[in-house]
Amino acid sequence: MKSLRLISLVLILTLASSSAWSFCGFYVAKADASLFNTTSQVILARKDNLSTITMSSDFEGDVKDFAMVVPVPVILQREDIRTVTAALFKKLDAYSAPRLAEYYDSNPCYERKYMAMRSGNADKMMMFSDSVTEEEVEDFGVTVEATYDVDEYEVLILSATESSGLETWLNKNGYKIPKGAQEVLQPYIKSDMKFFVVKVNLDRLEAKGSTKLNPLQISFKSPKFMLPIRLGMANAKGDQDMIVYALTDEGRIETTNYRTTKIPTNEEIPLPVQHQFGKFYKSLFDREYKKEFGKTVFLEYAWNISGNAGVKCDPCVGAPPIYADLKEAGATWLTSNNGDQWNPNYGKCFFTRLHVRYNRKNFPQDLQFQVTPNTENFQGRYVIRHPASGDLSCDDAQGYLKEVRQRREREVINLAHLTGWERNEYNTYVSEFDKLIEPEKNKTKKGSIFPIGSGSDSPKGPFGESISWKTLFLSLITTLLAIIGWSSWQRKKQTA
Amino acid sequence: MIQKIKSLFADPRNFQILYLSIFLMYGVHALEWESNAPYFLTIIATCLGVQAIGIILTTKNWHSLKSGLITALGLCLLLRVNEWWVAALAAAIAVGSKYLIRFRGKHIFNPANIGIIAVILLTQEAWISPGQWGSDIAVFFAVGFASLVILLRVGRIDTSLVFLVVLFGLQYCRTVFYLGWSMDHLIHQFSNGSLLLFTFFMITDPMTTPNSRKGRYIWAALIAIISFSVSNYFYFHTAPIWVLIAISPLTPFLDKWLKGEKFEWMIK
Repeated sequence: MKSLRLISLVLILTLASSSAWSFCGFYVAKADASLFNTTSQVILARKDNLSTITMSSDFEGDVKDFAMVVPVPVILQREDIRTVTAALFKKLDAYSAPRLAEYYDSNPCYERKYMAMRSGNADKMMMFSDSVTEEEVEDFGVTVEATYDVDEYEVLILSATESSGLETWLNKNGYKIPKGAQEVLQPYIKSDMKFFVVKVNLDRLEAKGSTKLNPLQISFKSPKFMLPIRLGMANAKGDQDMIVYALTDEGRIETTNYRTTKIPTNEEIPLPVQHQFGKFYKSLFDREYKKEFGKTVFLEYAWNISGNAGVKCDPCVGAPPIYADLKEAGATWLTSNNGDQWNPNYGKCFFTRLHVRYNRKNFPQDLQFQVTPNTENFQGRYVIRHPASGDLSCDDAQGYLKEVRQRREREVINLAHLTGWERNEYNTYVSEFDKLIEPEKNKTKKGSIFPIGSGSDSPKGPFGESISWKTLFLSLITTLLAIIGWSSWQRKKQTA
Repeated sequence: MIQKIKSLFADPRNFQILYLSIFLMYGVHALEWESNAPYFLTIIATCLGVQAIGIILTTKNWHSLKSGLITALGLCLLLRVNEWWVAALAAAIAVGSKYLIRFRGKHIFNPANIGIIAVILLTQEAWISPGQWGSDIAVFFAVGFASLVILLRVGRIDTSLVFLVVLFGLQYCRTVFYLGWSMDHLIHQFSNGSLLLFTFFMITDPMTTPNSRKGRYIWAALIAIISFSVSNYFYFHTAPIWVLIAISPLTPFLDKWLKGEKFEWMIK
C-alpha cells in the first residue's frame, strides 16, 4: 500500500523521515501499481473574484501528527471554512480521468457493437504529518488573527511581519519548517498573505466516530486567482504531480504564466494495452512531460457540465457530477428548485481538469490562472479495437483481415510514438491473422515487423539524434537572418 | 536573383510578414494550435478583404495590403476565439479602424490591438492567453533577434528598449528587491512569449507610435509604468494589451507637443 501525502497548498509540516511538501493523493488504474508519485488534488471554483479551494486530505498516519499551513490572500472568516466529503474527489477524478474506449469489429457478416470502459484512476497514497506541541510562545511578529473550530479541525489564521519570526513561531509551536521554505515565506509575507494553519482536535474527531479526516474547503474574495505551489516545493525531492479540478461559470481555466497544452487524445493503441492502461498513461504522460521540457501544464479534460448542456461526457467512465456535488465543490452560483440535488436546470458550469508536474527549477512562480470563455470540450481518450470473432473464411474477410493488420501496425507505431515502448514486442499481435491472409498478399519482411527500429518519429539530425521543433525553428530563423543580413550588407555596398 | 531578393526586402513589412508567418507556423506545428487554423484563415481573409475595400476607396496603393496581412498575423498570434464570426469581427474592426479612427492623417490605434480589445468587450467569445507561448529564454532570443532587423530598419528599436528597460527595472525593484523572490522568478516573466511579441511587434508599430523620439520614450515608459501597476496591484494578467489601447489617444498630443517626422513605409 502506498503512502499518501497530505495536501500542502504550500506547506506541509512533516515529522521524521517523510519529506512530503506537496498536495496529496494520486490515482492509479485499478489493476495497476501507482501511476504517479507525490500527486495531490485540489478543486478550484471561481466566479468573479470569489474563489473556493478544496484540498484533498487522505491522511492515514496518526491524526495527532496532522498539520497543514496554507498561505491565503485574506483573513478568512469562520463561514469561509468548512469540510467536505472525501468522496467528492473520487467522483471528480473518476469522471474526468483519461479513458480507454473499446470497440468491437463486426464480422464481415455481423453488426457492430460498441462499449466504453474507464481507464482507471488513482489510488491514494498518504503519508504523514507532524506533531504539534502546545506551548506558549512569544510573539515573533506573528499575530493570531483568528481561531476557529471547524468540525474535527482547529484552525488559526496568522499574519506575520517577517519570515524569521514566522519560522520561529511555527518551530516553537512544534511545526518543523523545511529549509527551502524560508525562500518563499518572506515574499508571501511581503505580498500581504496570511497563513491558514490547521491541526486536528482529537476529542472532536473521536466524537465523530471516525479516524478519517475530511477535506478542508476555504472561500474568499480576492482578485488573486492562483495556487501557491512554491511553498510546497520547499522540501520536496524531485517532481511532484498535482491534479486541479476547476469549476467556473464561463469556460476553461488556464495558467497565464505557464503554457497549457493538451495531452494526446483519440489515439488508437494495441489491444493488449488494456491490461496495463495505467502504465501506458503514465509512460505517455512522462514522455509528453519530457517533450515539453517539463515546463507546461497539461489539460486532461474540459467539458461543459451546465445544467442544460446535454451530454456531460462521451464516453462516460464515471458518473458526471450532479448539482449537489458541484455546490459542495464550491460552485455557489448554481441554483436549484427546492434544493433538488438532481435538478438539471442549475445554471452554467464548466469543468476543467489540469495535471501539472512541477519542480523548483521549471516552476519558479506560483501558478496564476485566468478564466477564459473557451467552452471547447476535450478529453483524454484512447481506443482499442477488438477484431471480429467467428468464422472469417469468407471472401469478404480477406480485405477485412488486411485492414486489421494495417490498423494494428498503426496502433503499434502510435504506441511507440506515445510511450517510447518497443514496437517489436507486438510483432505477434500485428501478425495474428497473417495465417488467414492469402500468401501472396503477405509481404512481411522476415525477422521483423518493423524493419526500421523503434523510437520516436521526431526528425533526425545528421548523426541520428532527435531534433526538437524548437531547434529546427531556431535554425531556420538564424539562417533567414543571415540571408537578410547579407542582403542588406550587399545593398549598402551598392549604394555607397 | 540576388537583386530580386534585395528588392523584395526593401520594404520592412516583408520582413515582418516573414517573421510573423514563421511564428505562426511554429505555433501551429510545435505548440499544437492546429484547431485554430479555420480562425486564422478567417482572420487573414477578412483583413485582406477589408483592406482591399479601403484601398479601392482611398489611396489605391495596393502595397497597403501588406499592412493588412501584418494586422491579420498579429491577430492570429494573440487572439483566441470560440466562433469564426468573432474572428471575422475582430479582423474587420482592426482594419476598419485604420480608415475610420484617424487624426491628422494618421490612424490612432494599433489595428490588431483595437481588434482584440473590441471583440473581448463586445462578445463573450474572445480572450487572450498570455501563457500560450510559454516562457523560454530561447523564445526571447528568437523573437528579439527576429525583430532586430525590422526595428532597426523602421527606427523603432528605441520604443521596445525603453518599454523593456522601464518594465524590467520596476519589476526587479518589486519582485526581487522588495518581495525577495529569486532572479529566476523575474526571468521567467520576461521570457514570456506573449510579452515579447507585444514588446517587439505591437508597441513598435511605426504608424501608431509618436513621430518624435522623445515622444516615443515618454509613450513607452508610460505603457511600462501603467502595465506594471495594473498587473501587480490589480492582478490583471493581460495588462499591456489594455494599457496600449488606453494610451494610444495620447499619441496625437505627443505628436503636436514634440514634433517629429511622420513615418512612411520605404518602398522602391
